Amino acid sequence: MKITEIQIKNFGKLRNINVRPLPGLNVIYGENETGKSTMQQFITGMLFGMEKQPDKQGDHQSYQQYEPWEDGSFYAGGLKFTVADKPFLLERDFYHEDAPAKLVNEIDGEELSVEHGDLEMLLGGIKKTAYENTYCIRQAEVETKKEFAEVLQNYFVNASLGEEGGLDLTGAGKRLNEKKKEAQRRYQEQKEKRMDAVEKMRLEEDILKKDIKQLKNQQKEGYSNIFQQPSNAIPPERDTNQMAEYLRDLRQKKKQQGYMIRCGISLLIALFGLIFGIVNVIFHPLQEGNPGWMALELFLLFLFLGGAGGVCHWFQKERRLRLLRKKQQEETKEINISATRDIEWQKVQGQQEKEAKHQAVEALLQEQLAEKQALLVNLQEVIEETQQPGEEEQELEQQKQAYELAYNTLHILTQDAYQDTRKQLEQEMSRILAELTHGKYDAIGLDDQMNLLVEKEERSLHPWQLSQGVMEQMYVALRLGAGGIFTREESMPIILDEVFAAFDEKRLEAALLWLGRQKGQIFLFTCQRREMEILERNRIPYGKIMLSR
Amino acid sequence: MKFIHIADIHLGAKPDKEQSWGEEWKYHNWKAFTKVISKAKEEQVQILLIAGDLFHRQPLPRELKEVNQQFSKIPQTHVVLIAGNRDYLAPSSCYRNFPWGKNVHFLAQEQIDYIELEGLDTRVYGLSYWQREISKPLYQQIQVKGGEFCNILLAHGGDERHIPFDGKDFEHSAFDYVACGHGHKPMEIVKDKVVMAGALQPMDCGDTGEHGYFLGEIKDHVCSVQFVPLHYCEYIPLNLKVSPEITQSALKEFVMMRVRVAPEYQKFRITLTGFCNEENPVEPEELKKMKQVAQVINKCHTDYDFEKMKLQHERQVLGRYIQMMEEMPQNEITKKALYYGVEALMAE
Repeated sequence: MKITEIQIKNFGKLRNINVRPLPGLNVIYGENETGKSTMQQFITGMLFGMEKQPDKQGDHQSYQQYEPWEDGSFYAGGLKFTVADKPFLLERDFYHEDAPAKLVNEIDGEELSVEHGDLEMLLGGIKKTAYENTYCIRQAEVETKKEFAEVLQNYFVNASLGEEGGLDLTGAGKRLNEKKKEAQRRYQEQKEKRMDAVEKMRLEEDILKKDIKQLKNQQKEGYSNIFQQPSNAIPPERDTNQMAEYLRDLRQKKKQQGYMIRCGISLLIALFGLIFGIVNVIFHPLQEGNPGWMALELFLLFLFLGGAGGVCHWFQKERRLRLLRKKQQEETKEINISATRDIEWQKVQGQQEKEAKHQAVEALLQEQLAEKQALLVNLQEVIEETQQPGEEEQELEQQKQAYELAYNTLHILTQDAYQDTRKQLEQEMSRILAELTHGKYDAIGLDDQMNLLVEKEERSLHPWQLSQGVMEQMYVALRLGAGGIFTREESMPIILDEVFAAFDEKRLEAALLWLGRQKGQIFLFTCQRREMEILERNRIPYGKIMLSR
Repeated sequence: MKFIHIADIHLGAKPDKEQSWGEEWKYHNWKAFTKVISKAKEEQVQILLIAGDLFHRQPLPRELKEVNQQFSKIPQTHVVLIAGNRDYLAPSSCYRNFPWGKNVHFLAQEQIDYIELEGLDTRVYGLSYWQREISKPLYQQIQVKGGEFCNILLAHGGDERHIPFDGKDFEHSAFDYVACGHGHKPMEIVKDKVVMAGALQPMDCGDTGEHGYFLGEIKDHVCSVQFVPLHYCEYIPLNLKVSPEITQSALKEFVMMRVRVAPEYQKFRITLTGFCNEENPVEPEELKKMKQVAQVINKCHTDYDFEKMKLQHERQVLGRYIQMMEEMPQNEITKKALYYGVEALMAE
C-alpha cells in the first residue's frame, strides 16, 4: 500500500494541507509543535478510524485530542492511496460519528463499503493494534506494549497460516481450558456422588453379610438358646390333697383301732357275763330260789347281752370304716394313676408343641435367611451397576475429553504455526538488526514470553542490558520484521516518529541507508535536519514535507 | 383357548426414583400386575404366559408369596412362567424351593423343558436363566414332541448376551405361538405368532410409547393376538427441531402447551435437535425443571457451516482446525471437540 495524497481539511491544529508523498522514503520535517504527531495520527485515523470513546487502554483520547482547534464542525479529511497499483480515495468525517467513511475505487468510480470490511481487505487484514505495534513507531514508544506479546503470538500463528487476523487464539485456548475445567468439575461431582452411594451400599452389604452369618449360626446351633427357658407345665392339682388324704387315713385308722378295742372289751364283758352266769347257775340252781343269786344271775345275763350287743355294734362300725377306707384307697390309687397319665400326656403334648414351635422358628429363620440372601444378591447387583458411570456422567466425561482434545489440537496448530513464523521473524529481525548495527549484532530472538533476546558472544542479552540506542534498534528491528510478517503481500506504510533521536550519527546513517533500500513507503517524522543531511550526502532519494507553525 | 401374554413386569423396580413422581411410581408395576390378574379373571383366560423378568431383581420370599397369592385368585387359569435375566435362578434364589399354587407352573430348568397343561392339550416350552447372561442360542432347534398338542414357547432374550435369536426364525417352526420377553418395546415380530410383549410398564425414559399386555386366542392352531395398553405411566417422546429463530421462551411455551393437555401419567422425554446460535442459546436445564418433563436431551449445535468455513479459511487456523478434527476417527468426542474448538475460535 502506498499513500499518494494526504488531504487534511481540518484536523487538530492542521488545516487545509494537501501533500503528495513519494512511494518510497519521505521525511516530514517540522520543529516542535508544528503538528508532526497530528499528521501521523491523521494517517492512522484515516486508515483505521477513530473512536469517540477512549480506547481500551485508556491511554489515548485521540478523538478529543485531535478535535480541530477552530471550526469544530469541519473535522474531516481524505486519503488517496494505491493498493496493487489500483488507486483509491478514502474520505472520513470524524465529527459525525454516524457518517460512514467513503471509499471509492478511482478507476471506475465504484464505491466500496468500509462497513463491510472492504478497507480492511485492502489493508491486508492488519488491525489497528498490530499496526500501532509494528509499522507505526511513535516518539518515545519504541518499546512494544505488554499485550503486544499476545498480539504477536496470535499474529504469528494467523500470519503464518495466511490469516487476515482477528482470531483471538490465546483467548480461544483460555476459553477452552475454562470450559474443560468446568466439565471436569461437574464430572467429578457426579462421580463422587455415585461413589458415595456405592460406599453406603457397601456398608449395607456388610451388615447384610453379618446378618446372614448370624442366621446361619443360629440354624447350626439348633436354636437351643431359644428353648432354654424352663417348661412351665402345671403340676397335677391332686397332689396338693395327698397330705389331707394321709391325715384322713391316719384319723380313720385310729378310729378303726378304737372300734376294734371297744369291740374286744364288749366281747370280754359278754364272755365274763356268760361264764359267771353258767357258773352261778351250776352252783346256785334256780330251783333253790334264792333271790340273791337270782338277781346276780340276771345281772350277769344283762352283762352278757350288753357285751354281745357291743361286739355287734363296734364290729359293724369297724367293718364299715374298713370298707370305706378300702374304697378310699382304691379311689386314691385310681386318681393317682390318672394323674400320672395326665402328666404323661402333658409331657407328650409339650414335646409336640416344642417341635411345632421349633419348626415354625426354623421356617422363619429360613425365610429370613432367604430374604437376606436375596437382598444381598440384589444389593451386589446394584453396587455393580452403580459402579458403571451413568448417562449424564458419561456425557460430562465426553465433554471434558472433547474440550481437552479441542484445546490440545488448537495448541498443536498454534505451536506449529508459531514456531514457523517465529523463525521467520527472527531471521528477518536479525537481518534488519545486522544492517542497522553494521553487523555488530546479528542474532536476535524471542523467548517464550515474546521478550527480545540478542545473542552476543554466546550470551543471551535482554534489551535493557544494552545501551538505549541498541535497545531501540532492536525494537525497530522487531517492529519492522513483525510488520513484514503480518502483511506479506503488500506492506503498509511505515511511520517512524522521532525514532532515531537516540541514535548516534553512525547508527543513524546505517538506519537511513537501510530505509533507503526498502521497497515500501516510509514516513520519517523528525524535528532535526541531520536525517535530511545524511540522506542528501548519501544521495538517497526522498520526499520532503516541511511543516511550519 | 384364550391366553394373556406378559413379560418384563420388573416388580420391585423403582423407575424415575429421582423425579418428583418417583415415590408414586414405585407401586405402578405391582398395580399393573394386579390389573393383569383381574383382567385374566374377567376374560376367563386359560393361560397366563409370563415370559421372564417378573421381578426386577432376585425375588424376596414375601414378594413371591404376594405373587402366588395373586395367582391363587385365578385358579382356573394356568400360569406358566420362567425366570429371565434379571430374576435369574441364583444359587440362593427364593424361586428354587418356593411352593407355588396348583395352577402355577414354573419352568425352572436350565435347558428347554415343557409342561403339559391339564385339560387343554397344550404344551408350553421354556427354560429359566440360571445366570445373568447366556450367549448360547438355546432356542435354536428345539425338538417339539409329537402328538396333537398346541405348542407354545416362552422365550426370553434375543440380544447378543441374552440367548440370541431372531424372532422371524420361528415363523415356520412347530410352535403355534412364541411368547417373547426381554425387549421393552411391545411388537409383533411375526404377526399373530411371534410376539415381544414389551415391558408391562415403562422402566425408564427410553421406554417411550404405550405399554401393556397381549390378549390372544388359539383355535385349531391358528393364533390371533391384540395389544391391550395399560396406563399407569407412559413416556412421550417429544422431538423438537430448533432453529436460531426459535427463542427459549417460545420453546418453553410450546412444551407447556403439550404438558397442559397431557394426562398426569404421561411424562415427556424431550430431544432437541437442529441448530441454535450464540445470541439465542437453548437452555435444556430450564425445560428440565418443567412439570412432567422427565428428560431433556440436547443435540443442538451452533449453526456452523463447516464446509464453507473450511474453504474460506483454508490455510488458517480455523480451516486447519476443522480439517484436523475431521481427519480424526469420528466419534462423539471428536464431533463435540470440533464444535467446541470452532465455538472458542469464533467467540468475540
